[in-house]
Amino acid sequence: MTVVTTRPTIWTVLKWALAILIALIALFPIWWMVNVVFSMPGEPVSLNPRLWPTSLSAGIEKIRVIFTETEYLRAYGISLIYAVLTIAGVLTFGSLAAFEFSLFDFPGRRILFGIILLSLMVPTAVTIIPTYLLTSQLGWLNTMHGLVVPGLASAFGLFMLVQFMRAVPKDMIEAARLDGASHFQIYWHIALPLCRNAMVTLAILTFMQTWGNYMWPLIVSSKPQLYTVGQVVGLFNSPLSHQTVDMVMTANLLAAIPPLLFFLIFQRKIVEGVAMSGTKG
Amino acid sequence: MSLRRHLPHYMMIAPFMVLFAAFFLYPIISGFFYSFHDWNGARPPEYVGVANYTKILHSRDFATAMGNLAVYIAITVPLGILVALGLALLVDSFTGRWANFFRNAYFMPVVLPAFLAATIWRWIYAPNFGLLNVALGWFGLGSINFLNNSSTMLYSLIAVDVWVSAGFNMVILLAGLKNIPTELYEAARLDGANKWQQIVHITVPMLAPVLFFVVTYSLISAMQVFDKPWLLTGSSFTSYGGRRNALLFPVMDMMGRAFGGVKFGEAAAYGFLLTLAIVTVTALMFALRSWSARK
Amino acid sequence: MKTLSILRSGAVGLATLAATSFNSMALAQDVALQYWVYSDFAQGDALAMQEEFVKEFTASHPGVTIEIVGKGDDDLTAGQVAGAASGTLPDVFMNSQSVGAQLVEVGALANIYEKWMAMPAEYRAQFDESALNACMPRPSELYCLPYTGFGSLLFRNLTVLEKAGIDPTPPTTWDEWLGQMKKIKEAGFYAVPDQTAVFNSIAEIYATTGSADSWGFNWDTKTTKIDPANMTKVLAKFVELVPLNSGTSRNDQATKDLFISDQLAFHTIGPWVNPTYAEAAKASGLKYDFVLIPGDTAGKTGGIRSYEMVGVAPGPNADVAFEFAAFLTEKAQMARWAKLLSRYNANAAAMADPDVSALPLIRVSVDAAHGAMDVAAPYFIGSVPSCYNSTVIDIASATADGEYTPEAGAAEMITKLNECLAE
Repeated sequence: MTVVTTRPTIWTVLKWALAILIALIALFPIWWMVNVVFSMPGEPVSLNPRLWPTSLSAGIEKIRVIFTETEYLRAYGISLIYAVLTIAGVLTFGSLAAFEFSLFDFPGRRILFGIILLSLMVPTAVTIIPTYLLTSQLGWLNTMHGLVVPGLASAFGLFMLVQFMRAVPKDMIEAARLDGASHFQIYWHIALPLCRNAMVTLAILTFMQTWGNYMWPLIVSSKPQLYTVGQVVGLFNSPLSHQTVDMVMTANLLAAIPPLLFFLIFQRKIVEGVAMSGTKG
Repeated sequence: MSLRRHLPHYMMIAPFMVLFAAFFLYPIISGFFYSFHDWNGARPPEYVGVANYTKILHSRDFATAMGNLAVYIAITVPLGILVALGLALLVDSFTGRWANFFRNAYFMPVVLPAFLAATIWRWIYAPNFGLLNVALGWFGLGSINFLNNSSTMLYSLIAVDVWVSAGFNMVILLAGLKNIPTELYEAARLDGANKWQQIVHITVPMLAPVLFFVVTYSLISAMQVFDKPWLLTGSSFTSYGGRRNALLFPVMDMMGRAFGGVKFGEAAAYGFLLTLAIVTVTALMFALRSWSARK
Repeated sequence: MKTLSILRSGAVGLATLAATSFNSMALAQDVALQYWVYSDFAQGDALAMQEEFVKEFTASHPGVTIEIVGKGDDDLTAGQVAGAASGTLPDVFMNSQSVGAQLVEVGALANIYEKWMAMPAEYRAQFDESALNACMPRPSELYCLPYTGFGSLLFRNLTVLEKAGIDPTPPTTWDEWLGQMKKIKEAGFYAVPDQTAVFNSIAEIYATTGSADSWGFNWDTKTTKIDPANMTKVLAKFVELVPLNSGTSRNDQATKDLFISDQLAFHTIGPWVNPTYAEAAKASGLKYDFVLIPGDTAGKTGGIRSYEMVGVAPGPNADVAFEFAAFLTEKAQMARWAKLLSRYNANAAAMADPDVSALPLIRVSVDAAHGAMDVAAPYFIGSVPSCYNSTVIDIASATADGEYTPEAGAAEMITKLNECLAE
């Protein structure tokens, strides 16, 4: 839909200026944080507004201190396992259920789906304490399954997959059934491959959500062996901390590295996926 | 037998439904039960009828939190979507590599964990020498205390909010834009419509379904706003909401009552009042959609 | 009784400790204690020393293992409240006395009075009396052993004072201090942080006029003890400070930054900022010192006092947990702890140790703590509703904004505080 003009008009110049300005607003805060990390310790932020990094070695030293003196690397591992298991569970259980809710009719379908949709509107803060108590009654406190399992039945994930699976042509399913395919085989060989993109999207959104999740890990895993990255950063962010500003910033920045890398590597898939989640809805 | 015919369906939804019942439905129901009890988690709950609800409805903080929420939503949702739409149109007017670059740049803040965004912005907003105030100084403007002046705090939060969420909504709207057939624009151009008229008469109506999704989703998440104001105000369970409660929101108040005041029953009641508000707003949105569809 | 002999020997030395521990073998049972500490104490040198304490204790208590768990300030309380609901409490923990009442209410904190009384008199005599009293809401109820603590200090940026032409002798009265602040403003610097921004800095200034007698709560009548005349004077002080302050709160990272970059002259806060300032002194030549906060009259000290505590959870491990808590707060450990961190603590005997009292930060802290006002006393009786602190902050800042006169503000504050406590 772009009108391609041969010579730059005032509008084209303005457009570029605006686009670049917004890109600066979006990216500069992240860049600024990198600069705070890569500068001499104890140097006040206000004397040098940190438009560029001033000391590479000091930044590396801070990162080294954090990696060696805290359990940051283990927390990376825990957060990663937590995210991967959650993604696997959300996709498996969500897609199985979405297959039924979107393509078939059976007694109770509408009411069950309605209840699931309603639950989307209950803030997580409402359920966190009863869920915690249940988890503890099951003896799952301080375990990986205690961290993961309560988050697996994602109503949001189900809702999203249902929207996509509705597009699976009914006659393909009928044809497969006439060929003698079992119910599960239809799911596995027809429905799943057709909504691969949706699954990728959901995986990505789940990753971002689990990585940033703070409250649930905080109360479920009270032992440091199971601290997630968010919890380790929380140790630095406490208001009466003895840590200096730049150490706090370093700890924070390190937490953002995996999602940023993840984004840079999979940017096309992520952007397409997020886009789809909205337009198919 | 109908049960046998339907059995495969139930088997397939069973894993999800069991987990859903255990970890969503049961907590919601038990939360509802506790909302009628005085309960601190340790002692057995004591039935108090609707006392928790009346207490909250009469508390000053609830009124403040709901008032803040109303203003916040009234600004942040339309503004956020307008900005996202503007960004989508802007990115859409580029092609190839540059379109990709700008799209990715605008999306970047979405990827950051909330605590990180809040930490960065606390510094940017710092009075006198924070980046933003330094920039204002270049234009000869005085320093503004963004996060500690009750008349600017809400807008400071909204700016962070838009910064974080605009990229997300932009990407969704961008995909919506790509789905609009180009013939429509060509036809309009032949009719002599200018760029602005094209946006108003073609882009926005054609985007309506996508916009509806974005608006509803933004509304539901805005009503549950918690971590950004909590972190921007440096809140703790004993003291939260910032100067003169200018950034007090319902979920914050609820968490404070639960973990600061150890009143789980009261917190649960609070949660259901908020849920009621969310359900009402969402229902209104759907009613609005079917009303406008009929028109 | 064997455990007592171990504790008594603590002061004598580690050698004796190891010897007596041999006898206690018979009592040995397999116990795993959860020991929650502030996140700062679970990092670096502080962690190393905590681990050392644990090693010494477990060496004399075979079968006991102790796991140190670091938590951020707020997360300690959230974790304990959640743990109380599910019956998975930390056996020994640090926390602030000001959340003590909540912890008692949910059953996370045991009354250790009897165990305490069973300790030898010379052990009990080691503690600072007022700190200990703060753990005892009523006779025969003791909910904690006081641990590290602080009295607010006045950190002064000497470069700013010099540039503003101020004599570096510490101010002795509020008026003198205010005069200095005005000169600092005239010289183009910030005098203090915004003292109305957080509860503790309001309390610090209140203490320049009032004292613990007119602060805190009367739980019997559910009223505030704040005195209207004092509060009026204090609110008037906040109005005077408006043009002088930096707009950042006492706790903001940005406040420390202003101080380090020679923009801010005074910072009233506890000793925990000292590591940051010491580092800045090394890195960028910051010149600073710390003195007492002057009160209205010469000899009166402003500022607040508060202690962190070591508490013990009720339950089967409570006996061993108490032994460990008693070991931690015992003079030998507290002196080593104080030396390492330069932090004041509640063990008066340890503070009197010549090596400890020679540390400048501790020397000033001892005086500061004695002159200061308890920030939220009495503790362990009622949990302070969240509206209390927020009302104090709201009205102090509204008065500073000019919405109330100091008299009207004080009257309004007290009315609202009483409403809040009555709820």
